Amino acid sequence: MEKQLLKLTVNGQEYELYVTPKTLLVEVIRDHIGLTGTKRGCETVSCGVCTVMIDGMAVKSCSILAVQAEGRHVTTVEGLEKNGKLAPIQKAFLDHGSYQCGFCTAGMLMSCEAFLDENPTATEEEIREGIEGNICRCTGYNSIVRAVEAVVKGDYREEEI
Amino acid sequence: MIHDFTYLRPGSLREVLSMLADHKDECKIICGGQSLLIVMRQGLLVTDYLIDIKGLKELSYITFDEKEGFKIGATTTHRMVETSELIKQRCPVLVAVEKKLASIQVRNWGTIAGNLAHGDSSGDLAPTLIALDAKMKVASSMGSRTVPLEKFYTGLFETAMEKDELVVEVQIPPARPGTATAYEKFNLIRNDQAIVGVAAAVTLEKGGACKEARVVLSNAGITPIRAKSAEVVLIGEKLTDALLVKAGEAAASDADPVSDIHASEEYRRHLVKVLTKRMVRQAWDQAAHL
Amino acid sequence: MSQYSVINTRVHNVDGIAKVTGRATYTFDVKLPGMLFGKILRSPHPHAKILNIDYSKALELPGVIGVVTGKDTLGVKQGIWRRYQDLCDEQILPVDKVRYIGEPVAAVAALTEEIAEQALDLIDVQYGLLPAVYDPMDAIKKEAPEIHQGFERNINVTRHIEWGDVEEAFGEAEYIREDWFKCGGQAHMCMETRAAVSSYTPDGKLTVYHSTQAPYYMQGLLAGVLGLKEGNIRVISHYVGGGFGGKFELDGAIFCSAVLSMKLFRPVKIVFTREEDFIATKRRTPMFYYVRTGVKKDGTFCAREAKVFTNGGAYTGMGATALYLTGFFHSFPYRWKGYRYDGYRVYTNTLPSTSMRGFGAPQAMFCSEQQIEWIAADLGLDSIEIRRKNAHYPGYEVPGQATIASCGINQCFDTIKDWTKKKGKLPENRAIGFSAAGFMSGGIFNWFDTPYSFSSAVITINYDGTVELYVGAQDIGQGSNTTLAIICAETLGVKVEDIKVHSGDTEHCPADLGAWGSRQTLMAGNAVKMAAEDAKKQLLEVAYAQSGFNIVYDLDIKNRWVHAIARPERGYDYAELVKKAIRGKDGQRIVGRGYYTPHRKGMISPAYSYMVQAVEVDIDKETGKIKLVDSLTAHDCGQPINRLGLIGQLEGAFSMAAGYGYLEYMPYEDGKLMNPNLVDYKVIRATEMPDVPVAEIDTYEPEGPYGAKEAGEGLTNPTAAAIGNAIFHALCVQMKECPIRPEMIVNALKEKEEKERK
Repeated sequence: MEKQLLKLTVNGQEYELYVTPKTLLVEVIRDHIGLTGTKRGCETVSCGVCTVMIDGMAVKSCSILAVQAEGRHVTTVEGLEKNGKLAPIQKAFLDHGSYQCGFCTAGMLMSCEAFLDENPTATEEEIREGIEGNICRCTGYNSIVRAVEAVVKGDYREEEI
Repeated sequence: MIHDFTYLRPGSLREVLSMLADHKDECKIICGGQSLLIVMRQGLLVTDYLIDIKGLKELSYITFDEKEGFKIGATTTHRMVETSELIKQRCPVLVAVEKKLASIQVRNWGTIAGNLAHGDSSGDLAPTLIALDAKMKVASSMGSRTVPLEKFYTGLFETAMEKDELVVEVQIPPARPGTATAYEKFNLIRNDQAIVGVAAAVTLEKGGACKEARVVLSNAGITPIRAKSAEVVLIGEKLTDALLVKAGEAAASDADPVSDIHASEEYRRHLVKVLTKRMVRQAWDQAAHL
Repeated sequence: MSQYSVINTRVHNVDGIAKVTGRATYTFDVKLPGMLFGKILRSPHPHAKILNIDYSKALELPGVIGVVTGKDTLGVKQGIWRRYQDLCDEQILPVDKVRYIGEPVAAVAALTEEIAEQALDLIDVQYGLLPAVYDPMDAIKKEAPEIHQGFERNINVTRHIEWGDVEEAFGEAEYIREDWFKCGGQAHMCMETRAAVSSYTPDGKLTVYHSTQAPYYMQGLLAGVLGLKEGNIRVISHYVGGGFGGKFELDGAIFCSAVLSMKLFRPVKIVFTREEDFIATKRRTPMFYYVRTGVKKDGTFCAREAKVFTNGGAYTGMGATALYLTGFFHSFPYRWKGYRYDGYRVYTNTLPSTSMRGFGAPQAMFCSEQQIEWIAADLGLDSIEIRRKNAHYPGYEVPGQATIASCGINQCFDTIKDWTKKKGKLPENRAIGFSAAGFMSGGIFNWFDTPYSFSSAVITINYDGTVELYVGAQDIGQGSNTTLAIICAETLGVKVEDIKVHSGDTEHCPADLGAWGSRQTLMAGNAVKMAAEDAKKQLLEVAYAQSGFNIVYDLDIKNRWVHAIARPERGYDYAELVKKAIRGKDGQRIVGRGYYTPHRKGMISPAYSYMVQAVEVDIDKETGKIKLVDSLTAHDCGQPINRLGLIGQLEGAFSMAAGYGYLEYMPYEDGKLMNPNLVDYKVIRATEMPDVPVAEIDTYEPEGPYGAKEAGEGLTNPTAAAIGNAIFHALCVQMKECPIRPEMIVNALKEKEEKERK
């Protein structure tokens, strides 16, 4: 299978890669670029641990051909922090213990971040619907919901400069 | 493990149609790929050519006009549909269905046309859109035609499209006056696929009796099933509990469900009964308040 | 005002930054130079002889570096119950025959994962099919095929627990009830599937990265099966994506990657797909329960007799322990005049069953707590009071089994009673059900036959006052690194930020039995406390020498402040003391050692947690669908140590236990799992979770560090029963099978209507 040129931006950085068209976006992120924060956990687009953002939309990177991300802006968990400063949702996760084993956390953070961008005044029910596509086997989700609620409430606003 | 293929990225609809004409049997269209990639990764679907239409902006649109109704382009995502103000106002049942279709991530990238073209009999959109009397516009290099969605499914994961055809547009006629449509699926977890689902569209006369009805079942057969027996029961009648029970039983008799690990055939029929009752009542109540 | 500076405060998890920024490296992420990718060929047959394996064509495929089969191994039958040879029955890569669909028969290492997968299709295995049996009740019949040689009627393990004169106690009963139950299996479904990277080098040393709950067990077991010295094996497990009881045995990933690496002298990585994780890793033990219970009309418990057949699957795993614990916790938390339990673990040609969070207790409670509810209803007695009058109390001795030290069950009943009362009259279609439960804080039995202390800890203090804490306890997400750092900080008198926890590496950490049976807070916690006390003593010796205080004055360190307890305002910084102490020791860092092994603590555990959990359920009578609306758990874990961790453990345990109660159906047909994927296997999601608040009951457990007991596994025990009891109260139907699915409820209602018509 012939490889082709793929140009995309990941976490603000432009990349030029040669990939076979059947390469999945998650494979480009993890294996070609080397950002291993994003994980894989199933073969049926069910678990959500591979969630990243494309142009601000949460998507499951295991169900997208990398070539479809041509010219797009991809954000992974590594792109949430800026110069060592954590994003509000990351701080909220720390404060509320919204992770345990941590394997689902990268995808969960990206779902939450995309969701908060779209719906900064979300209710509890909307938050639960917003992360419905991400399975967490450890936390039971409630601490994650509390973290998102805290961001919605504005607990981390002053630091968002 | 995905088998190798030649990747084609057409820049326009015309290019797509010409590629389809060239490669017919040996090609597959991918847009969102949210259903397609799963079967490709399992090795269940092998294709020589994969034609990627995701980038075709010319097919990404939602338009409405009073005469023709809604026209939704093939590359329009679920998310675009569920956030469209136009659709919220004029076809709220479609928004409700989209929001429970699958996770946000899948709705962000997957398309309404792709979902319909995939032909999963347990899908939510097909029964709802059949209840809304939708049509699929398909095109080939020879021209285009429209197929009523009701006639679009010919078997399990099989559609009425020819090998060189592609869905270009989903058309939803404007609702007839006095009509409301409701859909609900039964599942254990909110956005999971339907164990069964029922869509009901009810049109009421000025006097309150049922003028027209469409009852469509999801995952109760190898394709969405129009429960015509249930419709016959309803037409001309006024709403009573007994009528709803009768309609439910009629719908259950039209159903042809399978037994699988999620539900037995009898239980599926039972759910069809219950959901038909509920959705007919819901649509009826909404229509009465229009 | 708490007496503690750090204990039970909201401390950030010490691995937090790594986990929320994507920096945490799991075995799933490990990449080594020259690494190959391995894939496993699995048996499609439930029971068959392996006649021949021809992998010559696979070797010809470009990019394939090597293939191994059972013939490349020493053929050692291993098992986690090392001390009992007859329970060591699993070769993992079998030599002679396969015993379940999905069992490994060969493994390939190639340059890429794709090539390895393609190579599997080129391996030709000739099987001699054997008759198979799937149900334990069929497997114990005389004519059933023999699965393991020498095990008559396929009975793998038996367990017997008895106290009192059971017949006499039944004689005293004024009301007797008997019921049969069927408890399903459950998949651990860790977010990180089984994964291992093994690297064997020409100096005879093996390094393994493994997603595991017990690196020391892996080290010991690998030594046994590979013919290596433990000391030449290093197991690394820094971050683990969940375990839940499924990851402290050797699995196909670690074993096959090690065998491949030893043959090829290159690192080999094997990661299970989600499907493999479903079909080829062990599961929660499905159980058939028969329970006969005799009580007096006033609700006094007299006698109970239970007979249990468990579906052990093809190999023992941790099944022997689950068989015992289910029988023990089936008596919990009540006093029985006469109690008899007989458990039979039966081999079948299905996925092996093993431990899973709760370890046999969720099944035990599903049966016990529902039957007690039905007995209370039959006799017109209050559900809480019938339980309260028979419950354990501090100091109670479970005859021949355990002495209960701390026990807060009575206060738990009060809390739930109040909550239920406040709820008042519930809307139609809603009901509350509750269940009592309890659990162990680690086991006393040395079935692994370790010569080491069950837990150990080493502390070294650096010149700047920072502390290195070395433990063998494994953090698998439950937060043991943080919990142990808290205990260390509290004892030493410093802050959690001063502690750097080293765990998950057998090369640098002391041996520890690992994360299972809810043992780490108590056992590793005790070891850490002892090590910190040792280090603190050495520091204070120098402080005393310096201080010139009268003999009656005591010094202490709290919040990095060295001071006389009587005059806390006069003191100095702990870091200063450290500098002096190091000089005093000739430039040597302060080193503290601690360890713990339970001695003379009964048959099961040194301490027991207690709880009562109430769940409010909304039931759609027409469809049978259940929605969890609210809950409250009154919980006695002694002294809570890690506040955020505890809340997380409760909510997480609830999500898993609720799944066992009404969602996670695992149907098999002719030995084949019908839903090995996350579309058809239903795991609870955010939209289905109710609030899961906890009411902590204040008790002090003398055996635990600072009075602490387990919190995290016990909480998996009551939920299925609570859901069943809610359904009973809402619909007056008795659900004797779990998970309770909507169709079962609809059928039960139909049956009830038909009975009432007659």
